[in-house]
Amino acid sequence: MTKTSPSEHATAAPVPEASAKATAARSGFRIGPEGWTTLALFGLTVFMILASRLISSGFGSWQQAQAILLLSSFTIVLGFGQGLVILIGGLDLSVGVVMTLGGILAYRWIGTSLVALFWAIPCILLVTGCVGAINGLGATLLRLPPFIMTLATSLIIYGVFLGFTGGQPRGVASPALTSAYTSTFAGLPVILWLLLIFIVLATLVQSHSSFGRRLYAVGTSPMAAYIAGLPVRLLIVAAYAISGVTSGLAGILLVGYATGATLTMGQSYLLPSVAAVVVGGASILGGRGTYLATVGGALLLTTLSTIIEALGLAEGWRTVIYGLVIMLALLALRENMGIGWALTPKFRNTASRSRPGGAGHKPNKTGGNG
Amino acid sequence: MIGQYLKRGLLAFSAAAALFIAAHGESKAQDKKFKIYLSLSYSGNDWQTEAANIVKALAATPPYDKLVDLREVISGTDVQAQISAYESMIADKADGVISFPVSPTALNRTIRKGCKAGVLFFMYDATVTEPCAYNVSYITSGFGENTAQALVNMLGGKGIIFENRGVPGNSVDKRHVLGAEAIFKKYPNIHIVATYYGMWSAQTSQQETAKALIAHPEVTGIWSEYGEEGVLKAVLASKRSELFPITGEDSNAFRLALIDPALKARGFTGASSGSPPATAGYAFKIMMEVLTKKRNLAIHNIEYPLPWVPADKVKVCPGDEFENGCNVFPKDKVTDSFTTEVFEPVLLPELTMKTALTGLPKPGATIQPLPAALHPAPLEPGINCGHCEPPADLYKLTKVQPAVH
Repeated sequence: MTKTSPSEHATAAPVPEASAKATAARSGFRIGPEGWTTLALFGLTVFMILASRLISSGFGSWQQAQAILLLSSFTIVLGFGQGLVILIGGLDLSVGVVMTLGGILAYRWIGTSLVALFWAIPCILLVTGCVGAINGLGATLLRLPPFIMTLATSLIIYGVFLGFTGGQPRGVASPALTSAYTSTFAGLPVILWLLLIFIVLATLVQSHSSFGRRLYAVGTSPMAAYIAGLPVRLLIVAAYAISGVTSGLAGILLVGYATGATLTMGQSYLLPSVAAVVVGGASILGGRGTYLATVGGALLLTTLSTIIEALGLAEGWRTVIYGLVIMLALLALRENMGIGWALTPKFRNTASRSRPGGAGHKPNKTGGNG
Repeated sequence: MIGQYLKRGLLAFSAAAALFIAAHGESKAQDKKFKIYLSLSYSGNDWQTEAANIVKALAATPPYDKLVDLREVISGTDVQAQISAYESMIADKADGVISFPVSPTALNRTIRKGCKAGVLFFMYDATVTEPCAYNVSYITSGFGENTAQALVNMLGGKGIIFENRGVPGNSVDKRHVLGAEAIFKKYPNIHIVATYYGMWSAQTSQQETAKALIAHPEVTGIWSEYGEEGVLKAVLASKRSELFPITGEDSNAFRLALIDPALKARGFTGASSGSPPATAGYAFKIMMEVLTKKRNLAIHNIEYPLPWVPADKVKVCPGDEFENGCNVFPKDKVTDSFTTEVFEPVLLPELTMKTALTGLPKPGATIQPLPAALHPAPLEPGINCGHCEPPADLYKLTKVQPAVH
């Protein structure tokens, strides 16, 4: 680490503590702006599903909601890792390729064997987690910009499995994985129960554990976190490693859904993974955002694409509308003037005092508003 | 003293080395191999890999194994990358380039430059509009119109359908859809309620179809390009008891489903047609006949016959080789997305399923000559020529006839 001047110590040191307090406040009964953002996202999604009945008779049904949940499952899983990396101020562009890696390995290693499921899944997650850790090491030790580092890793991995598979992944889709999507438990597809468990665990890790609080601290100000004695590099590597693990997991799930693997299977999930996190109100600069909001973002985006598809417009217009709605969502959900902000007057008044860490300039800017 | 011995030894050694190099060079000049580049745009789906394997297998089949020095270059889906790959091949004095072109127009300048330098350019499956290149493709053989008519026939002239297209902006996708819509528009009771892009990927097709099925559960038929296997998976996952006709391309899983009694009982039927990887082998053989001066090729656009397998013509191959018109393989032999069109008994008797999977030649096979007359492809602007007049009967039906009016 570089040396810092005494003045930097003075301003930056209290941040982790304040951030931890803010997190503690969030986990209590009061709903902060991030909570409202999440609620707004879920509310908007439900509203859109119900309102879409006007467009098509097949819409507005429980069947539709279930299908949207299934289609969102990959982005929801990816979004956790991507969300943590964005939280610490990074960006993981390798999620698509690592997801493919997870899928190809699952396709090859698990096969029809039920026993293989128990050793192969941990092994695959270990491999993809290591790839993530390498990203983290590159970003910290080599100080490469995260998007260059993760882009480079993804190119290398793509090259390796192109050579390894000869362009054609071989294997069998595990019937157990497929049945997670096709069979039901207590009226819901098994995958949705698994997803629910994942979401609960991920929320606990991100918002209710000391590990999560430390990540917030690192994202808010790595320098301050370092001075406060946090193992910043280790935390950054851990965030990337988790992103590797969740990417691998999403790849395994995709094999179950699509009952097959190709060399580009994960590619189309990279941008949605970032979009879900950002639509969920996270700051791309780090230090802000919750996982539940990411889940809301993923659901909103999938619902949106489903509904737009039903409008019967040409592909060009569909893409234009999709882009416009995302832009509107971002405007509506942004920190200082968005829905979450408008719904929490108390927080608005006290923001400049309670959250000095959000980003240096923001309290000043909003001071006038309060 | 020792220095002198060393000097003498060194002298003797270099003389021997010079002799060896001269001799080797001479022998190389005697049986000079044709330097051929295989330029793939992208390897990542079964189709591209099979096409490449077929070319590799033929290049290793006698007598071509002694005549061909084949080098493979994968340049991704980026046009710029393929342009620079072509440039390097021209600079390396290639005799021929066999390639899947990324764009019908963007490569023209480079190809022209290569033609001037004496390089033969053979394109398979996708085409270019540069007149000095040779296009070998099924594109003009009417996939779109024939599958659309087959679907209309199966639906009895009325129904609510989806279109699962390929990659937006791609000339092949455009050609297919124009052909299909030329048919659909003749039937006022055929309603296309959803058109989406499956990107020629089974997974994307599956997801997009799943979305369309939520919006339009009343659908009664789907017309699909490559990716039909994903379309079928989405339909099956929607848990409807009654199924409907789907037309698509040549994936193994789709063809097997067409003869699955359980699915048939639920109303599933369809037709399988579309892009055959064997085209690459055909293009390679034509190129080799030109290079070895066995053929004087006057036409530049050569049509590969359209594969056509309606549900009642699907037949499982007992072994790895072509037998009795078989056209699909048992589930445990290949992947779901394996493109089954790897046989062409007349044009390509050298191929087996293994050659497409591994790139190794069929044991004991030798290259058989192609028929004297090759089928010329009709001119289609933007597909295989720049500014030309398409024939008046561009979308004429060749495989099915209208059964309803």
